[in-house]
Amino acid sequence: MILRRLALLLVALAQVSGAPRFYDDDPIRAEPKPLQVDSALSRKISDYYDFFLNTLGHPGERHKKDHLIPAQGINTLGEVPDGPWYANRHYFKRMSVKELVAGPGNSTPPSMDGQWTVVAAKNEGITPGFTIVDAARRRYIVKFDPSRNPELATSADVISSKFFHALGYHVPENYIVHFPPDQLRIGEETMLTDRLGKQRRMTQRDVTEILLNVPRSSEGTYRAVASLYLPIKPIGPFRYHSTRSDDPNDIVPHEHRRDLRGLNVFCAWLAHDDSRAINTLDGLVTENGVQFVKHFLIDFGSTLGSASNGPNTPRSGPEYLFAWKPAIFQVFTMGLFVPEWARAKYPDIPSVGTFEADVFNAERWVAEYPNPAFSNRLPDDAFWGTRQVMAFTDEEIRAMVRTGEYSDPEAEKYVADCLIKRRDKIGRAFFSKVLPLDRFRVEDGRLAFDDLEVQHGFRESRTHTVQWSRYDNGSGEKTELPGQTTFTLPQPSPAADYLCAVIRGEDARKTVTAYLRVRGGKAEVVGLTRTW
Amino acid sequence: MHVGASTVLALALALPLPAQFSSRAEEIQAARERKARTLQPDVLAKPERTLLNLKDNKVLERLSAGVGGFRLKLGGLVTGGGFALGPEYLRRDIRDGSFFFRASAQASTRRYQQLEIELGSPGLVRNRLYFDLFAARHDYPAMNYYGPGPDSDKGGRSSFRREGLEFESLVGVRVLPRLSWGVSTAYLTFNTGPGSDRRLISTEQAFTPDRVPGLDHQTDFIRAATFVRYDSRDNPGGPRSGGLYLAQLSSYSDRTLKLHDFQRLDIELQQYLPLFNKRRVFALRGKTAITLNDRPGSVPFYLQPVLGGSDDLRGFRPFRFYDRNLIVLNGEYRWEAFSGLDMALFVDGGKVFAHRSNWNFRNLEGSAGFGLRFNIRNSTFLRTDVGFSHEGFQVWIKFNDVFGGGSGTAASPRVR
Repeated sequence: MILRRLALLLVALAQVSGAPRFYDDDPIRAEPKPLQVDSALSRKISDYYDFFLNTLGHPGERHKKDHLIPAQGINTLGEVPDGPWYANRHYFKRMSVKELVAGPGNSTPPSMDGQWTVVAAKNEGITPGFTIVDAARRRYIVKFDPSRNPELATSADVISSKFFHALGYHVPENYIVHFPPDQLRIGEETMLTDRLGKQRRMTQRDVTEILLNVPRSSEGTYRAVASLYLPIKPIGPFRYHSTRSDDPNDIVPHEHRRDLRGLNVFCAWLAHDDSRAINTLDGLVTENGVQFVKHFLIDFGSTLGSASNGPNTPRSGPEYLFAWKPAIFQVFTMGLFVPEWARAKYPDIPSVGTFEADVFNAERWVAEYPNPAFSNRLPDDAFWGTRQVMAFTDEEIRAMVRTGEYSDPEAEKYVADCLIKRRDKIGRAFFSKVLPLDRFRVEDGRLAFDDLEVQHGFRESRTHTVQWSRYDNGSGEKTELPGQTTFTLPQPSPAADYLCAVIRGEDARKTVTAYLRVRGGKAEVVGLTRTW
Repeated sequence: MHVGASTVLALALALPLPAQFSSRAEEIQAARERKARTLQPDVLAKPERTLLNLKDNKVLERLSAGVGGFRLKLGGLVTGGGFALGPEYLRRDIRDGSFFFRASAQASTRRYQQLEIELGSPGLVRNRLYFDLFAARHDYPAMNYYGPGPDSDKGGRSSFRREGLEFESLVGVRVLPRLSWGVSTAYLTFNTGPGSDRRLISTEQAFTPDRVPGLDHQTDFIRAATFVRYDSRDNPGGPRSGGLYLAQLSSYSDRTLKLHDFQRLDIELQQYLPLFNKRRVFALRGKTAITLNDRPGSVPFYLQPVLGGSDDLRGFRPFRFYDRNLIVLNGEYRWEAFSGLDMALFVDGGKVFAHRSNWNFRNLEGSAGFGLRFNIRNSTFLRTDVGFSHEGFQVWIKFNDVFGGGSGTAASPRVR
């Protein structure tokens, strides 16, 4: 309540002092050049702490009953500007199939012209692996599939990295590789931290032990995913709440970032229940002569039907690992109430694991444990994500799934079919929560837009009504223009060069207000707000 | 209804006071510069730092693994022995993990003592062959004994001391990935004496040797055994599907008194029937121990099958029933309350009996109850059971999965 009053006060003060709602550079398409970050503390975070903090507490700022906090980190159209967090890609600038399957890059797989030098071993955690340097001096993290589920984690890692890239996130380049055991040589200085934390020189036995626990082909080769090291100086994960206190460019609380709230929809689509801080990475990069912090999503081995070390639990997605209400409910109903997700049917395909679309419920999907940004997701955040999910055609999805290099065509078809079905479920679920109008533009003197529910065939048609007003950009006052109820643009008075159009469908609660700036006889949509 | 994203408000909130800017970019830059003046290292809160240090320094792993192979061993004594503690030396890395060696000494709050030493290999010849050499000495000063047979009286509880030495060698072959077969030989010595539990009468005062074979004289045995085992459980530490089928034939040869030669057949069948993507499981277990020699008095009481305790009849006290033969049936219905906790409702039935002709399901003792199974990564690390029977109720807290414990005899022949 206090925040709301403060916000209203600020807006009122801004308007009293003449601060406009729209600046001339609105809507900004890219964030301004970041401030130089000379140094930032490289720190890890505790995944246990993250679990307990988010499961038992409510970090970050949350909606109140009488006050919902709109998304931030967006321009006046509600879009996320290009920047260190996000880059507008497939929905905004349609990517070709070639670009989609290339993802963040597909031209620098590990070189097979010589052995790979193992420079570190990952002998802890749930998935075994190595860090290698190839003949071209490129560094990769190499991870494997669980022994009983060949191709499960490696396919998921590659496929999901392509999707998250197309959806706008910064991700590493992932490659499926096949190699014989003698492709690996241990570096002369390679040290290993053993199970008890003791540093010692790595031996062939260590490599053999890791390879003993991963699937081996009949030809004696190993399949893995090789993730190219990001060209950054890593400084640790970002959290899904608050901001980094040592990054001047990080000014929007993460739980309010639209690109993180909307990420919920993408994670639901791709079953990325492991979407938590530990699977993110911040790093210092230098672009255009400025060093700043860039934010990445990493490690997609726990997506689709995979939990990295085996198939995912059926609980994953429908329920948190722990939540008081369902747990107590289950305890006292003695398990007689069987949740729908427990009845889900999964294919008997080891490389697919527990991925399905029939029981999938887009609105109720959750990560392994509460994610503050996901918990703050509002219908317009979901709409922002949903239209991007819906932008993928069946053919594009099938092409991207092909990058997972499933040896079983049935697996490839099943995963693609599931993604298509889940995509449509997401569209049906979230478009109906708002008036799903988008791509506003002025065509031949008329305000035009796409009704995405109609466009994607979720309903046949919809009748839209409109009421025009003059908009005073200085005071924020709207003056209704009587009789202006068609989509033809009214002529603004010389004093007011902004118009606004309140559009409604059949549900009066759901509106879209479009703000237009009229300059030199040319009108441009510069702002959008939604109600639901 | 709610007003949706007010886009300008979002950025305006980042400013301390309304200010005049000429562009959105300028407004954002001002917010950044304001933050730049108050930058601080992004340090972790103390609790998080502590948890991170625990993980990074592998404190739990070190505690569990010990230093230089030495560590503290908790628990692991016979049920009723009290809280046990002692040093253990464990090396799993001999010849790159091909062999292991273990030696431990434990004492409990009830003055039970146990020394063990073991050398073995978990897998040789492409993991086809395994072997184990084992020696142990135990001194359990207050074992419970209620008298022979199924009709023993709860009020007849007595206690006795059981001491013994065991030397065993075992060789097993993994015929198929799930099927193994093996043989073992053991030399066993036993001594019994007055129990140290002052609350209870000592067994030799409560019972006579003609009713309780082996009470007056103990003897040494050579035990030769062969076993076959088929294990298709998905996760042996906390199975949700598959089964474990085990049969062992043992021959006990009395080396001193020549009075107690006998053979025993142990059969155990476990089956886990999953429902609803393994979120519900029916766990069934049937177990029997049959003494093949019908000569009365052939099986000394301290080697007789026993019933009662955390693993079979959970509503009865441990070692409640002794006799030459045993049948026990268990059924559990488990349901997942949340990831990491399964609840369980169970029923147990079983009996001990003197003659093989009584091998049937009549006159079973019964118990029922409920329990909790805490698990991590598909293995149960803690379970609590509360069992009820006509003799009252028992509360069990164990650090293993149910049906994973002993084999039903006080001497616990080692079956792998």
